[in-house]
Amino acid sequence: MDTSDLIRSLATNAPAVKRLRPPLVRALGWLLLAAVIMGLMTVSHGVRPQFAERMQDTVFAINMIASLLTGVLATIATFFASLPDRSRGWLLLPVPPLVVWLSTIGYQCFAGWVPVPPGAITVEAASGCLATLILTSLPLSLLMLAMLRYAAALRPTSIILMGSLAVSAITSTALSMFHPLDATAMILGWNLGTAVLFLAGAALLSRNMSKAGAGKEDRTSR
Amino acid sequence: MPDERRRRLTLVATDGEATAEDAKSASRSPEASASRDLDWSILMAHAQDGDNVAYLRLLQEIAPYLRSLVRRWHKDAWDIEDTVQDILLTLHTIRHTYDPARPFGPWLVGIANRRAIDRLRRRGRQVLREAPLTVEHEATAAAPDSHDDELDKHRLTEALGGLPPIQRTAVDLLKLKEMSLKEASEATGLSIASLKMATHRALRNLRSLLSDRRDW
Repeated sequence: MDTSDLIRSLATNAPAVKRLRPPLVRALGWLLLAAVIMGLMTVSHGVRPQFAERMQDTVFAINMIASLLTGVLATIATFFASLPDRSRGWLLLPVPPLVVWLSTIGYQCFAGWVPVPPGAITVEAASGCLATLILTSLPLSLLMLAMLRYAAALRPTSIILMGSLAVSAITSTALSMFHPLDATAMILGWNLGTAVLFLAGAALLSRNMSKAGAGKEDRTSR
Repeated sequence: MPDERRRRLTLVATDGEATAEDAKSASRSPEASASRDLDWSILMAHAQDGDNVAYLRLLQEIAPYLRSLVRRWHKDAWDIEDTVQDILLTLHTIRHTYDPARPFGPWLVGIANRRAIDRLRRRGRQVLREAPLTVEHEATAAAPDSHDDELDKHRLTEALGGLPPIQRTAVDLLKLKEMSLKEASEATGLSIASLKMATHRALRNLRSLLSDRRDW
């Protein structure tokens, strides 16, 4: 198709569109909805026992604040970086709290290693964790997916990863309020792992598709 | 705010289609480039509101500019045109993401660079998978009496010479002269069955003779 023909057909099929709100407003909107969902989950589950005492523990408090900050900043970064005219540098925004958050996870794992006897975390407990985790993070992921679907044409990989990080961090913060076990590693594993799995699948599929497409082109050109 | 918008709207100077020369001359000075960017912002804002004429004009004006941008990434004329069309399609799909309060240039260049790089990657994968078609790939165009063919013919004649006389005659008549079994039988006086047997043995012998030689 000739470019001038394409331009003409695009221009004749261009109904009015609703402009996106500024990225900061959209990020705050998502965070607000996330807060509502998390609030409802917390109310339905009930705040974990000894939440106030746990907050006295410096590491627990730092972990929670860092994960909350990571979530908020990663959300803002995702909405900014999803636009074509914004810098990729936005993706670095959540790095400082992320480092703090990950360092506290490491500490907790290390501290929890010694007192927990082998077999203390049973399969039932772990599957319960996973169910809560999926139930909490799935609505957030779907919401973000719907809000950022246009980014598929621009930088999908970094946006998916950053969005998954935001969902992970927010879920982790909420879960530490109502879930008695520390599930950070599982949350990160679930959200980022799923994202990576999808990306890998998409990469393989697209490669095969482009191969098949090329094969078809070859056949038709003969 | 509406007053300001109206004042900015008057900056759109003339109607009509833009050419590559227009785009080139407009990009010469920074002031011209800034005013062009402003024009495009206004046109895009109108397009978002459903003004098809403004949208058509915008797309016609940015096409030469996009071509010059893409030329930095691609050399092939087909690639350049395909990338420009890719950019236009992407721009059309996500035109709601443009914020008229911000400059149009960076938004457009952001999309253009993504599409150009995507195409470069795709080309890279194609280059890894495909090889250019050369004369050597044209099997039918190859000269029939090349050196290798001569060598093979020589080997075959030599191998035929090493066969017993009946087998040699059978191969000569049936395979090389392509006679039918009946014709060969009449020409040699041998029965059809013995001709078949002789051919079968001859081919088996030839196969072993030639495969032996291949090891030399």
